Amino acid sequence: MKGKGLLEGLWITLRHLFEREITIQYPEQMPYLQERFRGCLQFDYKKCIVCGLCTKACPNNVLSYESEPDPNSKKKLLISYTIDLQYCMFCNLCVEACPTGTLYFNHNFELSEYQRDDIKIVYEIPRSAQAVISEPVDSPIEMVDSDSEPAPQPDEEEAKKQKQINAMITALQKNPVKAVSKLVESEDQARILADILQADEKKLIRMATMMIEDREKAGKVALAFVNKELKDRQQEGGAGNEPE
Amino acid sequence: MLQTEQYTINIGPQHPSTHGGLHVEAVMDGEHIVDSIVHLGYVHRSVEKIAESRTYPQFVPYTSRLDYLATHLPTLGYCQTVEKMLGVTVPERAEYIRVIMAEFSRIASHLLFVGSLAIDLGATTGLIYCFRDRERIMDIFEMTSGQRLIASYMRIGGISHDLPDTFIPAARSFIADFPKMIEEYEGLIVGNEILQARLKGIGVLTAEEAIEYGVTGPNLRACGVEYDIRKADPYGIYDRFDFDLPLGSKGDSWDRLLVRIEEMVQSVRIIEQALEALPEGDIKAKVPRIIKPDKGSEVYHRIESSKGELGYYIVADGGEKPYRLHVRAPSFVNLMVLPVISRGEKLQDIIANIATLDPVLGESDR
Amino acid sequence: MENWFVNIAYALTNWLTGLGLSAGWADFILLVVQWVCIIIIVTLNVIVLIWLERKISGFIQQRLGPNRLGPFGMFQTIADAIKLLTKEDIIPSATDKLIFRTAPMFFIIISVMLYVVLPMGENMVIADLNAGVFYFISVGSLTTICLLMAGWGSNNKWSLLGAMRSVAQMISYEIPLAFSLLGVIMIAGSMRLSDIAAAQSNVWFIVLQPVAFITYFIAATAELNRGPFDMPEAEQELTAGAYTEYTGMRWALFFLAEYTNLVAVSALMSTMFLGGWQGPFLPSWLWIIIKTYLVMIVFMWLKWTFPRIRMDHLMSFSWKVLIPVTLANILVTGIALQVFKGMGW
Repeated sequence: MKGKGLLEGLWITLRHLFEREITIQYPEQMPYLQERFRGCLQFDYKKCIVCGLCTKACPNNVLSYESEPDPNSKKKLLISYTIDLQYCMFCNLCVEACPTGTLYFNHNFELSEYQRDDIKIVYEIPRSAQAVISEPVDSPIEMVDSDSEPAPQPDEEEAKKQKQINAMITALQKNPVKAVSKLVESEDQARILADILQADEKKLIRMATMMIEDREKAGKVALAFVNKELKDRQQEGGAGNEPE
Repeated sequence: MLQTEQYTINIGPQHPSTHGGLHVEAVMDGEHIVDSIVHLGYVHRSVEKIAESRTYPQFVPYTSRLDYLATHLPTLGYCQTVEKMLGVTVPERAEYIRVIMAEFSRIASHLLFVGSLAIDLGATTGLIYCFRDRERIMDIFEMTSGQRLIASYMRIGGISHDLPDTFIPAARSFIADFPKMIEEYEGLIVGNEILQARLKGIGVLTAEEAIEYGVTGPNLRACGVEYDIRKADPYGIYDRFDFDLPLGSKGDSWDRLLVRIEEMVQSVRIIEQALEALPEGDIKAKVPRIIKPDKGSEVYHRIESSKGELGYYIVADGGEKPYRLHVRAPSFVNLMVLPVISRGEKLQDIIANIATLDPVLGESDR
Repeated sequence: MENWFVNIAYALTNWLTGLGLSAGWADFILLVVQWVCIIIIVTLNVIVLIWLERKISGFIQQRLGPNRLGPFGMFQTIADAIKLLTKEDIIPSATDKLIFRTAPMFFIIISVMLYVVLPMGENMVIADLNAGVFYFISVGSLTTICLLMAGWGSNNKWSLLGAMRSVAQMISYEIPLAFSLLGVIMIAGSMRLSDIAAAQSNVWFIVLQPVAFITYFIAATAELNRGPFDMPEAEQELTAGAYTEYTGMRWALFFLAEYTNLVAVSALMSTMFLGGWQGPFLPSWLWIIIKTYLVMIVFMWLKWTFPRIRMDHLMSFSWKVLIPVTLANILVTGIALQVFKGMGW
């Protein structure tokens, strides 16, 4: 029959007329994203070893960073890391180049902003030994994503620090010579410092805090305490000889 | 006798049915086309010039953007060109995975061809059904590489990630559902008498004209010339697979449609064979991090893309960036045949002709 | 429930004559009221139809149609209407102003004029003309010139192409349109639409004239510029064809007129082939609505399935296939009538 194809087509569309729809109601329903979906670039500052392979791998100069050499070791310390997302092709070359898994894609695909400058993601890492991630500059993009590991909150850091300080206080109270032996050079100085700290509770707490936060400064303060004590003892020894 | 006048009409570049920014200037006499001139260049993005300032691995994502409808095929061509230049052997598992991905891309491209042909001729529903089926292939691409449309999945020396566990069940379920999809297209689009009347005998391209103009791919096979680079000059491991080449007889638009639908079926055959024979092993050969081919080496390598012969010509100068990279785009050459096949036909036929030549403006303008 | 509207009309006429007006004036005022009702029916129908078309096209394509505004997206058309009303009215400078502006007006006036003879239920015809069918077909064919006015007045090659095509198409399909109805008129014995509807009390004419139904359906699709015959406004090929230069409310008027035409033609089809207002249980005016909407859903179903027919295939189909088929239908109907009359049925 001549019109058979037409009737078949009509039958197919009639069948589909009564079927359920295959679309999802976005934004109430989010689409199912596969595991390897490339949403937005995310940078995990803690694992970065500042090797520069990601910047070299990127075809479009999306990634850039500032770093300074670490005085204590041969490594480099990261100051800031910029991801200029407007040029990114989402090609995955940077993620593959990174040896430590610092850079990865999360599942956030709603990346549009109202201003062009807001598309840059800047990570600024303050100079402290235990770098806490501060509020990134100019980055309205959510840093904490439900799909990725959240950055450590300042309260968590504080809690951790407090615990360490408490541990140090206990150590100074129980076995002060051993605890301060790393700060000063000789054992005599260690014993002197231990006596000072045992005598003054406030000084002990202050020293414990400094030892956790800034070891260098703690060493300097410890030396200052010891020298002052030595001078005091010398003066005491010679106090009887000199008039007041 | 009434005095008549020829007038010039511009189809595109802003038009609901030109595939990208295509501009055809048609000189018409009433409803009949006397002559037509194709103007290209609206999507020119100077990809070849960009290649001169990117290293060889860095250029891989740009290749996916050439033929964005079949994303893995241009990437495959580029990677194989550089591998040919360096003399790298790709591991077996990577080769098989590359073949599977390439054939999925070919199916995706032909599905879009069928859909866009349907909507250009007025059957909007056909497009939606084809896209619905294309979504399944997009999900497979997302599973393996992370992106749906522009996946830079292949690397020089192999592929970037291994297949996840969800891949083989998804691929097998697609293959199992594929005959039903073809049946639906046959019922709705191919079997439709109105569409047959609009495509049969229209846009006839003879075999001699096709060879003269350098037309390749399904357009050439629709004219009856049995030439497919996968069989004539096999690259990769294509000589291990058993598949047929669908041929047309008259070279008209109808044959071009039928050839592509049959090619999809043959691609599914190849994927089945590759899934059966998939070996274990490495997915990437040991390639130096900084690729520096020898100075003065030049290579031309071609693959059978979904549109025709896609070739890459690279000239190296000893540095880490190519001196010159040229892409032989099949759509650019295929489009030049449009004035020839549309002469004397009606305005609606030129729309059907553009649709059946299957151009992708991203690769014809590069 | 059956006689609601008839009773309202009588009550109104009585009240007006009771006020002291002569019968002629009362009838005139009743006519004005009926005219207002027609406008309301047309507007309501178009609002529902546009929503229905988008919903049906969505379901055929396995997606939801409009679904955000109102339950099931029912207020989408109103939102579109408000948007179109507030759009800037752009008139290109080189157009023929008078023709450009009056084309949509004529289109909608003609489409509304078709409702005068349609029976909306038993005894619910505004003007029960003796040559109702004849009036319908002749007024309906005036829409051709409105499209030509739109295309010519736009001063645009694409619009002119669209207009020329539509003129050729509509003229070709007038003849099968008229001839397919001749079979029904022969069986019913009159051109008055209420008589034809009443003559289907035993069996619907679709059973007696299936071929005429199909040819009328195809010819009507072509007359309405719908479905597989929408060359003149082919989006993919001519970027809206004759309507390219129209913006805002003028464009909306064109579409209003097209949908009005669609409802009128569907109502005619349900009157002539599907029994009009005949039916059990439900009141007659409800039956007409149900049957009209069923016919319109079939129109939409066809539109969203088939690709467009090329111009010359369209014309050759009309002149070489439809006209001989309708002529053969008339011949067979005439012979059958004589045979059955001779047999005493």
